[in-house]
Order: sequence, then structure tokens, then C-alpha cells
Amino acid sequence: MLVFKPRRSKGWIWLVAMALVIIGISAATVLPLLTLPADEVPRGVLVLMASIALFSVPTLALAAWFPTMRYELDEHTLTLRYGPVLTYRIPLHEIQTIRRRNLSISPWSSLRFPGIALFTIPYTDVGNVKMCATAAATGILLVETRKDKYGLTPADEEGLVAALRARIGG
Amino acid sequence: MPPIYIMAVITLAVSAGLWGGLVYAWSGCDRHYLWLLLLGLPLSAFVNLMVKKPLVVFVGQAANVPPSQGLATPLWFIIFLLLVPPVTEEAIKLAPLLLPLARRRINSRSGALWTGLALGVSFGLGEAMFVAYGVAQSPQYAAYPWYAFTGYFGERMMVCFCHGVMTAVVIAGLQQGKARAVAGYLAAVGLHALLNLGPVLGQLGLLSATAAGLSLVPSLVVFTLIFEWLRRRAAHGRDSQEVAAEVVYFRRSPDETPQ
Repeated sequence: MLVFKPRRSKGWIWLVAMALVIIGISAATVLPLLTLPADEVPRGVLVLMASIALFSVPTLALAAWFPTMRYELDEHTLTLRYGPVLTYRIPLHEIQTIRRRNLSISPWSSLRFPGIALFTIPYTDVGNVKMCATAAATGILLVETRKDKYGLTPADEEGLVAALRARIGG
Repeated sequence: MPPIYIMAVITLAVSAGLWGGLVYAWSGCDRHYLWLLLLGLPLSAFVNLMVKKPLVVFVGQAANVPPSQGLATPLWFIIFLLLVPPVTEEAIKLAPLLLPLARRRINSRSGALWTGLALGVSFGLGEAMFVAYGVAQSPQYAAYPWYAFTGYFGERMMVCFCHGVMTAVVIAGLQQGKARAVAGYLAAVGLHALLNLGPVLGQLGLLSATAAGLSLVPSLVVFTLIFEWLRRRAAHGRDSQEVAAEVVYFRRSPDETPQ
């Protein structure tokens, strides 16, 4: 099995920043309440803000798994992996096209920041793409099957493409 | 030191980092735009002290309208108060364009967008400093701890971005010619008035302070959509060139069925 690493990026910084924003919003709401007498502090608001702050945990976990992003190629399958939360398996015989292009991003996004794109992301030009990439839109290696499109950003793009073509006979 | 200054430092650092980072990252890591973040810093204090305040005082005295009358204020004067900040601020935010350094990138839609956003955010950062200075002059706020001013933090973060979008609208128009520049300026004035409507109604007692503050949120949504429209429009020309440069490594022939 061949393993290819993604292009270098600092996308994890955006995930950490996102977690800090979530924590910041919660703290910004809670801190002024601390100036009130203890019996006047609205406990519901404290619980709500603590719940919101919990959303920072998965965001930080995604940042921690950033170094685990990789593309595995065996005789029959190309597998895109990101930590324990993302595994896309692409049977080689189902691949219709492999092309490198820039994608046009849409404001309606799931997990996409400069330097990182994960899970299914809508693009205005090619539709939904299952992303496991260290770029949101630039220089994406787009692998299309009849059912799905996948976006990846291998550091050794020529090596991955050559290995893929050798297996699918392109 | 007045406690709001601590929150002002945090606000400036986070706002400059977030919006400056956005400009830097989305403009293709062009450091030129980071320099523009410095040019608008003194403009808010200048326009407030040298233009807006004297103008409002002069018109109020000339028309014999006493200040702070609440709902007793004549309607025309309320409209005047609503329009003074947009008209003056949207104009003064363009002042850095007198420098060749600031004009350098306004030769493309994307250059106009990022120049406008950087100059507007810069004005917003300066305004955050000016507002903090104003609050610090009121003894009633001196007793609060610094972390009681998170409302200031949230408001200034949003307003910085909105200033950026409004200036981007003007400069995007300017890049298209004089007629579009006027249209862009009037559009920015309209957007600015919309942004200020909640706080003005709050000052008149027609909205509660909470509702006036929350009125920023729908405005922020509108400004985000406008920013996205500008960004996509700017990217359109670049995208068409890039699509032409697409590399096809493999394409299964139509008569080849998957095994």
C-alpha cells in the first residue's frame, strides 16, 4: 500500500481560532454577569453559554488530528483519511475523471477554512465535493466517480496520479 | 487607567488579527493590504472632532434645536443626525486613496475589494479607539471591571467588518468608473444609515438598549451577503482564467464501462 501526505498548510490554525471564538463568545456573555450579586446571576444563561463552549471541544479535536490527514492507495481502493472521523473509500474501477482545478467556493459551507476542507462541501461550479484537503479551493485534485466527487491535495501530486493511472490503466 | 482601555486593547488585537488575517489570507497572502490597515486609524477621531461635531452643533444652533430632546426632536433633525455619520465617514474613509501606496492595487476587482476592506477595517479600528476614549471620559464607567465591557468588544468586532464592507462597496464602484463610484458611495451611505438606525432609535427612546444592540445582528448578515457577492464577483475573472488552466490527468472513455 502506498501512503501519500497532503500538501503543507496551516489550516489547523483556523480550527484553533474557531474554537477560541466559540470560547470567547461564551466568556464575553458570562463575564459581565460576574459583576452582578450571586443571587441575581441568571443560571440559565450560564448553562447555555457552557453548552455553547462545549462546541469548541470537537473543533480542537479536529485541529489535533490535522497531522493524520493522508491518502492511502492499494490495488483496488484510494482511501482518504482524517483522524478517526473521516474515511472516504474510492474504488478505483469507479473513477471517471481525475483532474486538477480550482473550485469556486459557496457561502454555504460546512467545514472549510483557508488551508483545510473536510467532509462534504458545496461548490458553486462542481456541486458537492467530499473533501479531505489542505486547501479550500485552490489546486484541488478532483476525483470523480459516477456517484460522488472527492477533493484532495497530495503533496506529491504527480506520484499519486501516476500510481493511480498505473492501477486504472489510464 | 480606565478599565475600558484593557478591553479596547483586546478588541483591537482580535479585530486586527481576525479581519486583517481574512484580508491577508483571501487576497493570496499579499502583505500590501496589511500596510493599509494603518492608514485609516486616525480618521475616525478626525472626522468626529473636526467635521461631525462642529456640523451638528452649527446646524442645531442655526435651526434653534436644543440637543438631546428625545422624541421632541424635529423629524428633519433626526434624519440629519442619521445621515451625518454615513455621509462624512464614507467620504473620509477614501482619504488614504490620495496616497499612491493605497491606490496601487485598485486596477482589478479583487484589488479594489481587498483595498476597500482593509481601509474600512482600519477606520473601524480607529473608531474603536475613539469610542473607548469617549467611554473613558465618563466617570460612571470607571467603577466597572474591564470584563464588563464585552458588549463594546462584540459591537466593535462587527462594526469593523461592516466598515470594511461599506468601503469595499465604494472602491469597487470607483474601480468601475466615476458613475459607478457615485453609485457605490450612495449605496455605502445607505448601508451605513441602515447600520446606525437601531442605535439612533435607541437614543430616541424608541428602542430598548438591548434591542438597539441586537439590531446589529441582522445588519451583519446583510453585510456578510454583500461581502460574499463582492468576493465572488471579484473572483469571477480570475476563476475563468484558472478553469482554462485546468489539468485533466485521466478521463475514462465513454464506451468504457466500469468493471
